[in-house]
Amino acid sequence: MKTAVGVFVLAALATLFALPSVLSAYYITLVLPAVAYAIALLGFNLLFGYTGLLSFGHALYVAVGAYGAAVLSSKLGIKSFELVLLLSGAAAVAAAIPVALLSVRYEKIFFGILTLAFGMLFHSFLFKFYDITGGDTGIRVLRPSLFGNEFKDLDKTAFLVGPFYYYCVGLLAILGFVMWRIVHSPFGLHLVASRENRRKSEYLGVRVRFFRLIAFSISAFYCAVGGAILAINTGQADPELAYWTHSGELVFMAVLGGFANFFGPLVGAFTFIFLKSELMGLTQFWRFWLGLTLIVIVVLFPRGLVGVGQDLWTRLHKR
Amino acid sequence: MNSKRRKLLQALGGTGVVAAASPYLSFPAFAQNTPIKVGIIAPKAGIAGTIGECGLRGTMFAVERINATGGIAGRKVELIVEEETNPKDSIERLRKLVLQDKVDCVQGIVSSGVSLAMGAVAEEMKALLIFWDGTTQDGVKETMANPRYVFRSTDNECEAVMASLLAIKYWKGKFKTIAGINPDYSYGRNNFAAFQALLKKFGVEHKVVADQWPKVGTTDLNSHVAALKAAKPDLIFSSLLFADLPIFMRTAHGAGLMDGGTKFVFPAAGFQHTALKKSFTPEGMIFGHNTLYFDHKDASPLQKDFVKMYVDKYKDYPHWEADRAYFAMQVFKAGVEAAQKAKNAWPGKEDIISAMEGVKVQSLGGPGHMRKDHIAEQTFYQGLTTHKNSYDFPTLGTVDTMYSDQIQKPPGADFWKWIETAQIKL
Repeated sequence: MKTAVGVFVLAALATLFALPSVLSAYYITLVLPAVAYAIALLGFNLLFGYTGLLSFGHALYVAVGAYGAAVLSSKLGIKSFELVLLLSGAAAVAAAIPVALLSVRYEKIFFGILTLAFGMLFHSFLFKFYDITGGDTGIRVLRPSLFGNEFKDLDKTAFLVGPFYYYCVGLLAILGFVMWRIVHSPFGLHLVASRENRRKSEYLGVRVRFFRLIAFSISAFYCAVGGAILAINTGQADPELAYWTHSGELVFMAVLGGFANFFGPLVGAFTFIFLKSELMGLTQFWRFWLGLTLIVIVVLFPRGLVGVGQDLWTRLHKR
Repeated sequence: MNSKRRKLLQALGGTGVVAAASPYLSFPAFAQNTPIKVGIIAPKAGIAGTIGECGLRGTMFAVERINATGGIAGRKVELIVEEETNPKDSIERLRKLVLQDKVDCVQGIVSSGVSLAMGAVAEEMKALLIFWDGTTQDGVKETMANPRYVFRSTDNECEAVMASLLAIKYWKGKFKTIAGINPDYSYGRNNFAAFQALLKKFGVEHKVVADQWPKVGTTDLNSHVAALKAAKPDLIFSSLLFADLPIFMRTAHGAGLMDGGTKFVFPAAGFQHTALKKSFTPEGMIFGHNTLYFDHKDASPLQKDFVKMYVDKYKDYPHWEADRAYFAMQVFKAGVEAAQKAKNAWPGKEDIISAMEGVKVQSLGGPGHMRKDHIAEQTFYQGLTTHKNSYDFPTLGTVDTMYSDQIQKPPGADFWKWIETAQIKL
C-alpha cells in the first residue's frame, strides 16, 4: 500500500513538473491557484477530515496570507518570498490561536458558526479600515524574489509559469510530505481518536482541546501559505478573499475530492479550479452547474472523486 | 455552449486525441487575414449583471455596424465574452483571453475593485485593455501614472462633481443641512467628500446632519432611511447606483422622507433609471445619466438609431454603460485604422496603442476622446427630473451637458487640490 502511494505521489509530482512543457501558459496560470488551494486544503483537511471540525471561516487565514504578502511586498518592501511565507504563516497562526481557543471548545454547527463569525469579522475589518487595508480595492501584491533571485529578465507571465510555478510545486511536495507525517504521527492519531469519540479519547488521556488548538494553528499556517501564492498569482489582495463564499469554496473542494482521503482535497482543488474555469467560459449559468455538481457528489458519491476512483480500482482488481 | 461541445466532439472524431487537446497546447498566433478578436469581460450576474448586459448590447451594436461596413481596417470583429466576477477570477478570465484565445484587445469591466487589480496585471502582461468603467485609482490617487497598455474611462468622481455643481447652481441658499447615503466603498466615500469640498469651494455654508454607508447590494435600508428621516436634512446626496437605489427610494417614499420638500441629488442614478418609478420618486431631483441620456431631444442620429434598436429589440431603455462599451470599441477601431493608414501595413500592438493616444471619436452619447495619459474624456448629462413624459419613470426636464474636461482633474493632478484651485464654472 505504501509503495502504491509512493508511486502515485511521484507520478503526480512528475506530471506537475512536466506540465509547463506540455500545457499553454494560460493553463499553467490555472494550475498555480490549484496548487495554492491544494496547500491550503492540506491544512483545512487536518481540521475537517482528521479532526472532524468543519470550519466555515478558513478563508480568513487564506486572506491573512494574501494580505501578508501584500503588506510585506507593497508597504514594507520585503521581496523575499521565503520571508513572506514565514511571516504570513506566523501572522495566520497568531490570528488563529485566539479564534481556536474559543472555537475548539465547541463542535459541529457551533464550531462552524463561530469560525464563520470570525471570518466575517475579519472581512469587515478589511472592508472598513480603508487606511490600513485599502478597503474594497485591497492592496497590490508585488512580484517576490525566490531564493534571492528576482528574475528581472522575465515578464510577469513568464515568471509565474516558470520559476514561481516550479517553486510552488516544490512547496506543495514539501508541505504535503510534512502533513503526511503529521497525520500519521501519534499527534494525528490523537486527532482522529477525538474525532471518533471525544469522551472516550479524553478518558484515555488525549488532551482534546490542546491538540485541536494545535491542529487549528497548523491549518491556519497552510491556508496562509496558499493565500500568499494566490495573491502573487493575482497581483492583488482584496476583501473577497475573506468572504464566507470563499470559505464555502474550500469546503466544496474538500467534499468534491473526498475529505476522508489524504489526497482527496488535493484532487478536489485541481478539479474545482479547472471545472469552474471551463464552466465560466461555457455558460453564464456556471454557478448552477457547480451547485448541481456538489449536490450530486454529496448525494451519490459522499466519498468524493477519490472515493469513486478507489471503488473503480477495487472492482477492476477483483476481476 | 453547444458549439464548443460540437467543436470538441468533431475534434475527437476527426483528428483524434492530439486535435482534441489542441486548446490546451501552445500554438503560434493566427494569420492577419482572420477576424480581429476582441475579448469582453463584463458582469453577467449579481448586482451589476444588468449593467454588464447593457454594456454588452452597446458592444454588439458597435460590432454589427463595424462588420456591416467592412470591419476594422478590412478585418471583421469577433467577440469572445467572459464574465466579470471578483478580482481573482476576473484576472484569470483576462489571462484566458490573452494567453489562450490570443485576442487583439480586451474591453469591459464595471467594478473599480476589479479594474484596479486588473490594470496592473494587464500592464505586466503587455495586454491592450480598454476599461468601460472602473478606474485605476486607489481612492482618488492614480496608481498607474504612465500606463502603456491600459486605457481607462473617465474618473469615477466626474458625475459627483457635476451633480454637486448643479446642486449649487439650482439650490444655493435653499439648503443648510445635508445628509448622505452612499455605498460603503471608495466610490461612495469619495463622491460625498467631493460634494462637501465643492460646497466649501463655492462658499455654501452647510452642516452634515447624517451620513449613512450601506454595503453595496444591501436590500434592507429601513434603518438607514429612519436615520435620515430623524436627521431632517434639507438635502440628501446619494451615490447609490446599483439595485439598492430603487430599494432606497421605495423605502424612503414609504417612510415619508419625500413629504417635507427634501432635495435629492443622485449623481449616478442613470443605471437604474427605468426602475425608479414615478409612483415613488419626486420631481425635481438632480439625476445623473452620465455619458448617455437616452431621451435627449438633441441626440445625434447615431444615438437615436441605437435607442430605437434597443427599445425594439430588448423592450427597454439603455443607460450609460452601453455608451462606455461603444466608446471603447470606437477608440480601438480608430486607433487600428489610424495606425494602419500611417504604416500602410497591418499595425502591431505598439503602433495601435500610440495611435489611440489622443484619438477623437463620436460615441453614442456624444463626442469623446482618449487623452495622451490613457484617460477618456466624454460628454456628461444630468439635470432636474420631471414626470411630464410618456414613461412610467422620470426623465430630465432640464438637461445640463458638460464635457468631462470641466469636471475631471487634468493629467497628473491631485483631485482634492484640483477642486480647491481649478476655475470651475457653474
